[in-house]
Order: sequence, then structure tokens, then C-alpha cells
Amino acid sequence: MRRIAFLFACVLLPLACQVRADEVQPEAPQSVVRVNVTNQPWDFGRPWGKRPPYSRRAIGTILSDNRVLVTAELVANANYVELETAEGGQKVPARVEVVDYEANLALLKTDDATFLKPFKPLELTHAHIGDTLSVWQLENTGTLLVTKGPLTTAEVTRYPIDDSALLVYRMTTPLQFRDSSFTLPVVKDGKLAGLVMRYDNTTNNAEILPAPVIEHFLLDAKKAPYEGFARIGITSSPTRDPQFRKYLGLDANTPGGVYIADVQRDGPAALGGVEQGDVLLQVDGQAVDQDGNYRDQEYGKLGLAYLFSTKHFDGDKVKCIVFRKGEKKELDVTLKHRPVESYVVEPYIIDRAPRFYVLGGLVLQELSRQYLKEYGNDWQKKAPENFVYFDHQQNELFKNGPKKIVFLNRVLPSEMTVGYEELSQLVVTKINDLAIQSLDDVPKALAHPINGLDKIEFDGEPKIIFLDAAQVEAEAAGFQKKYRLPELQHLN
Amino acid sequence: MIFRLWPAVLALGLIVSPLRAQPNEIRKSVARINNTMQEGNYRVPWLPGQLSGGSGTGWVVSADRILTNAHVVSNARFLTVEKEDDPKKYIATVEHIAHDCDLAILKVQDPAFFKNTKPLALGGIPELESTVSVFGYPIGGERLSVTQGVVSRIDFRTYTHSVLDSHLTIQIDAAINPGNSGGPVLQNGKVVGVAFQGFSGDVAQNVGYMIPTPVIRHFLKDIEDGHYDRYMDLSIGIANTQNPAMRKGLGLGDDDRGVMVSSVQSAGVCGGKLEVGDVLLSIDGHDIASDGMVELEGERVLMSEVAERKFLGDAVKLGILRNKKPMDVTIKFDHAWPYLMQANAYDTQPTYILFGGLLFQPLSRNLLGAYRFQNDRISYFYDNFVTKEIYKEHPEVIVLSEILPDPINTYLGEFHDGIVDEINDHKIRTLKDAADAFAEKPEFYVIKFIGYARPLVLERSAVEAARERIRKRYNVLAEQNLSETEATSASR
Repeated sequence: MRRIAFLFACVLLPLACQVRADEVQPEAPQSVVRVNVTNQPWDFGRPWGKRPPYSRRAIGTILSDNRVLVTAELVANANYVELETAEGGQKVPARVEVVDYEANLALLKTDDATFLKPFKPLELTHAHIGDTLSVWQLENTGTLLVTKGPLTTAEVTRYPIDDSALLVYRMTTPLQFRDSSFTLPVVKDGKLAGLVMRYDNTTNNAEILPAPVIEHFLLDAKKAPYEGFARIGITSSPTRDPQFRKYLGLDANTPGGVYIADVQRDGPAALGGVEQGDVLLQVDGQAVDQDGNYRDQEYGKLGLAYLFSTKHFDGDKVKCIVFRKGEKKELDVTLKHRPVESYVVEPYIIDRAPRFYVLGGLVLQELSRQYLKEYGNDWQKKAPENFVYFDHQQNELFKNGPKKIVFLNRVLPSEMTVGYEELSQLVVTKINDLAIQSLDDVPKALAHPINGLDKIEFDGEPKIIFLDAAQVEAEAAGFQKKYRLPELQHLN
Repeated sequence: MIFRLWPAVLALGLIVSPLRAQPNEIRKSVARINNTMQEGNYRVPWLPGQLSGGSGTGWVVSADRILTNAHVVSNARFLTVEKEDDPKKYIATVEHIAHDCDLAILKVQDPAFFKNTKPLALGGIPELESTVSVFGYPIGGERLSVTQGVVSRIDFRTYTHSVLDSHLTIQIDAAINPGNSGGPVLQNGKVVGVAFQGFSGDVAQNVGYMIPTPVIRHFLKDIEDGHYDRYMDLSIGIANTQNPAMRKGLGLGDDDRGVMVSSVQSAGVCGGKLEVGDVLLSIDGHDIASDGMVELEGERVLMSEVAERKFLGDAVKLGILRNKKPMDVTIKFDHAWPYLMQANAYDTQPTYILFGGLLFQPLSRNLLGAYRFQNDRISYFYDNFVTKEIYKEHPEVIVLSEILPDPINTYLGEFHDGIVDEINDHKIRTLKDAADAFAEKPEFYVIKFIGYARPLVLERSAVEAARERIRKRYNVLAEQNLSETEATSASR
């Protein structure tokens, strides 16, 4: 996961002079607490273990009903969470009540009913372009440090989980470096307008996770189970090119409209009858322009994703008008959240242990973007090229399965695997003639060895290898002990 | 011509031998070759290309022929040869060129060149640790230079001229520098190799490579009929069978024999004759060991060496095990491997089509060297072109490599780096297919790219109106070239 780049410049740019620290509002420190988190992510390269733990400090915003709001990034793979009063430094353990990694939001709760009593919860408010917003930080003493800046832009853009696009506010503000500068509240007129999600200290640009997304999350959080932000399941492409418009038959009477380049299989749009090649003209009576934007009452031109994800909820129906072969068609689409498990290459695996199966020293896993990110920030260049290609093109490549890509990550050498030591990064296609659609198929296939041998097939060289089934079983315990593996498989 | 990979002189490495016992004939039979080259420009393929010059070494191999490296005389527009004791520059032409083994034969128009020369005789493979002398015209001076070195290693290595081919290579520790290329390496008055490649001084020092006589003899024999047919290859992948379970699964005993066929290229000579999972036990009567080696004339060499020694029209007899049953398969070498886009190309003109300002070019190693493509599908198609048999559907992978901006294509930026799949419902397998589709006269040209459902649409009337404008603005000398051997005229 991308982390917020909180490298603050020591010297502030001249721009900073225009913005002076706000007068401290007396009630302000009483609406935030420090949040101390110890995170320990799983090691997807060695899926039986975790990486060393690390700790972070952040600021939590207190909301009504004794809830504390932070970004989901802060609590990803958290082992331990505690709240700490800004002044006085009293601490109390807390737990994550609801988390949405796609919307990058989490609610914390503590069982100590008295701890948050003295504090005054913040209400939410929407901010608009031109508003001056205050970013709150805490001094070591617990006093509030307030930096102001103007809200310049509201747009739909990518969130830390690369697959989700939601509303973001952008503001320019010269933040100073302070401890615990993760998850900073952004305030307008004493109300919460958003949380700082990313900050670039060279340009002083901050990306703010905005109130409309937070409100949506809080409403969703009241329902059990938590549903998450809905989407429509289309990929669109602009129709600006006059030649293309003419080819599609869009004349002067049919302005705007965005081309639907791809429809997610069995996704909401597909189920509602939307087809690849349609031109989406209207949603909920709102005209869609040539680039796939609509005119939002609050924020002006915005990507349609805002309408689907944030203005609506999972299960809502939207009325779409599409242009298909010279005719307009009205279609009802029921918006749904796309569960992360439905991806062939899952975009994130957080708070869950990686699935794996060690077969006589062959470490089998399911391909995920979380695994690819083990190759570092430039994983798209460093990870095996075909795996990155599978991840990027998964909607196109795996329309007919498999459910997950099972691959041989590495070989832990032993007597059973002599001659196979060098094998790695190979996609497993079959075991004992059974097609492998996910790791769940591995034990099923292994139940039926062929003439006492397990035959494993790959989509790359050497294509076929064999293991002695009886030997694998007999030596499993010894092998596990030798490599000190806590378990030989994890399939939950 | 510049010796590959040698950017700088290694002054310390030059051991100039005092020409003591070298018979005068040898010196007289070594020539300097000057090459004026012109290489097609893949970014602007209608231009004639950059001119450059280089020099290398050659030697008299028969009464009226000179032998040198292919890379010394590649892309030649004008060649001259000179001898040390003759003031004249003689004009030469390439008679045969073998890019797969980096050898070439030159003809000199004026027979006077060969007066006082004596063809150098070919010897065998020199012993390890024995001393050899390298003759040539490397940088650092004008006159013939001779250096001495010791034979360090005999191995299969990549020939960097094509980069796709590997043959027997002899490593020597004599200083070999740019300009040495093509020069004879002698021992006891006989040629034992041709100096051809080395490492740059910052990678490794005193490592030079020569082409040994088996490769030279193979080349000379191949061209006896007046035509170079290229090296033959089984075009299969093999996997070792050292693992006991693997041996059992394949029906092999405990005799360390046999390798498993792990891939069979359908376009190669074994296509349809061998299957993945077959076991190769012998080749032309030589037993194949479990690591893929055979014994030839007392030496353990890779089994591919047997195929290396074959010529077009020859056959090889394989003893195999299929489904554990022994059988014999005879493979006829009836064609050389046809798909060379992953090899460096020389003496060719870039092929392309410019249509509506869109430049379409077949994917090749040369093309990848000229552009920085962003589409990860291109590198996937390139790397897997052979292994995943992409050539079956796309013998040429046609890339939209460049867009020359014009009002007709100003909205088409998203298609940059796309791979063409269809034009007006015609499947595009080659550049010729694209040219044929563009020669039709539909109202719209509809171009579909692989993995991209939104089509690129050009209106025919707009293309025609833009044609002269684009040609003039970008000084386009010819709108297409479909043949690698000669540039076609400007018209389509």
C-alpha cells in the first residue's frame, strides 16, 4: 500500500507567508485524540510469516457515539491500536469497528466508556471550491497547530487501493513536520470537512478525503454487514472525435454521451442490460458529457463514478439512457459493491493471511497485487512481466476462468525436489490431470495421485514435473520441522 | 566496423608480439575492411537512414574470397579492402552473409588484390591453455597488429550480432579490440578461429571470444551451393530428468538417461512429430544424458550440437519414449526457423504503413530499440512471441507506433502503442493484411486493437483530404514499405 509521503520541507516556500496560523479555537483539542497503531503486514514472499512490526502515530477525529475516525491505511494489518489524549497522555486500548480499505476509512471504538466522555464530537460539513480550510496537527504539548489553505479542486481520482476512484478535495497548504502527522483532520467552521490522505511537500498540495465520502461511509457503517461503495461496472472512453461520433451515429440532436468500452462480466451494468459499444447519454436524468462527466449541483463537472459510488448506495437503482444502433434505450441498473474476492488477481489482501500450500517443498500461492507489491514501489517494472500483465489485463484475459491464478512461488529444496531447485514464478495449470482454478483445488487433486505420483503441470517450461506422493506424505512432518514452517498450508 | 561491446581501448591489455616467427604469407593475407553503412531509421522509416563508417579485419580464405564477420560488413553501402604492403584500395562486395553465425564472404572485383596472397588453411579446435595469435587492425594504430593469448574456455555462447543464436565459442585471454573483428586467430600457421566479440573493460578484462573452425566450416559448407540456408534447429524445449519421481513418472529407469520434451514449436521441424512429455533417449545413435548432454568425439556437449552440425535437407534420428513406449522418430530439417523478429535485423529496410498520420510497424527487436512503448502488452507479446506461439495468430505483430499529429487524428492519443487486431472485420496477421484493408474504400476505416474494445475510426473522406497535408508537413517520402529488401516508391 502506498503511504502518505510525509516528508516535510524544513524551509517553507514564500507562499507560506500568505497563510498564517489560525487563532486556536478553544474547543478544538477536545475533538481529537492521538491514535497509536502497531502494524504487522504478512510477508507474501514467505506466506507463512509476517514482516517485522512497526508503529505509527496519528490523529483521530472524535465523532458522535464515541467513535474515532481515521484513514484505513493507518490501521491496515494492525496488531494493536490505542487512543491517547493529546494533553495528559492517558492511553486506552481500542479496536477497529468498521474498515473500508477501498474508501480508505476506518472507525475505532474503545470499550472504556468514560475515556471519550470529556470530548466534544465533531460534526461533518461539505467544503466547496474557494473555501478556506484548516488542517489540524498536534504539537508535542498537545496544543493544536492549525494551518490554513484554500480548497482549489474537487475531482474523482484514484485512492490508495489502485482500483477505487472516489471524490477527492485538493488544497494548497504549507504543512509543517510534526510527530504523528498521519490522518490529519481538515476543518471548516469548526466542522470536519475531510482527512488529509496524501501530501506533497514540494508543491504543498494536499489531497483530502472529503466529507461526502465520509458521510457515505458512516451511513454504510450503520448497516451490518458493511456493504461498501457501489459501482456500475463499466469502462468508458471519450466520444470527442467527430469521426467517431459520426460513425456511432451521434448527430447534433444527440450531444455528449460516453462510449462504453467494456462491461464487467456479471457486473451491475451487464445485469441491467448495458452492452459494450453502447453510448451512455443520461443517468438519473442528468446529461453525460463526451468525457463521461456530469454536472454535479455541488461540485460542478465530476466523473460519473461519484454519482454511482457516493451519491448512491449499494442496491440503489439508477435509470440509464443509452444510445444503441441509432436508438435510445432506457435501462435500470442496480448498483452493487464489487467484493474483492471476485477479482482473479485481488487488488489487496489486508488483515487476511495469504493463502498457500507447500507441496513437498513447492510453495504454491494465489497471484494477488499484494504479492506483486512485494517487489517494491516499482513492482510494475520489477515483478515478473507476465504476472504484471495478468494483473493489468485480468478483466480481459480470464473471462472464462480460472477463479484465481495458482503459481509456484519458489522451491524449498529437499530430497523430493532434486532437479527442481531453480523453478519459480510458474503458473500451475493442472495437478493429477485436474484443472487448478484456485488453491482449493490443490488438495482435491492431490487426493488422486497417478500411479503413486503427483503430476504437476505448468504453463511454462518445464511444463510437467512429478513428485512421489507417498514420499511427500511421509516426509511432510520432517520437512516442516527442517524449514521451521508453522504450517504447510493455509487455505482459509 | 566496431567490435561489439567494446567501447574503449584497453591500453594495458595490448600485448603486441614482435612478429617473430610469423611467415610473411600470413601478414599478406590479412586485410583491413572499411565499411560505409546505412541503417534504416525506425522512427522515420521513409528516410534513407543514417550513414556511418567502420572498419574491421578479413582474411583470404580461398583463391579469390575474403572471410570476415557479418557485423563488419552489415548494412554496407560501400566496401573497400586494403593490404599492408599495397597502396591501393580495392572495392569489395558481400557475396554471402550469415547473421546467425556472424560470418561473411567478400568478393573483390580486381583480381590484382589476390596477387601475393595465399589462402589461410583452417585448423582444428585448439587445446585449452595453448597459445594463439590474433591478427587484425584494431584501434590504436594504423598497421597490422598481432596479439597473443591463451585458450581459456570452450563453450556455447550467445552470438551478440543476432542476439538470438548461440553456437560453439572459444574464449581467449588475448586483447581483442574494436577493429579486430573478422581477423584470423592462428596456431601453428593455421586458422583456429575468427575474433568476433568481447566484453567492455568495465565488465571483464582480457576476455575475448572467437568463432571456432566447426562453425566456420559449417558456414563454408552451407554456401557451397551458392546460397546460405542458415543453421538448423530442433525448435523444442527440454527439461532434465534428474528427479527420481520425474524419472518414474516418465517410465525411465535408474540409468541417468533421457530428457523430457517440455515444448515443441509448431512452426519448427519437430512440429507435429514430437509431443510435450515425450522422452528423448538418443539422437543419431548418441545416448542423451539426464542433463541433456551427449558424447561427441570424446567430449560431453549439449545435444543441440548434433542439430548444429546439420544442413537444410538433412535428417536426424531420435530414439524416444512416448507414453513409456519406445519408438524412433526421424526429423527432417526441411526449413530453417521462420520467425526472427526477436533477432537484430540487418541489411533490411524498416517496413511500415503511414495512414491518416498513424504509423503502423511490425514489432521487432529493432522497433523496440527505437521506441519506448508504454503498453505492457507489447513486451508480453515480444517475450512470449515464440513460447506462447503468438506467431500462429500474428506472424507479424502490428503496432501503432507513432501518431503524426494532424486534425484527423488529434483525438486518437489513447490508441498509441496499441496492437492491431482487425481492420474493417479483416483479421490483421501481417502488415500486408493491413495494407490490403487500407486499400479498400469503405465509408469508415474501423481499426480494432487487441484487448481494447473501443475501435479507432477514421472517415475515408477525411483520410483522403488529410493525405497530401500530412505528406507535406512531415516530409513523408513514401507512405508505406511492405518489403524488407527494397523501399517501394511513394505511391500506394
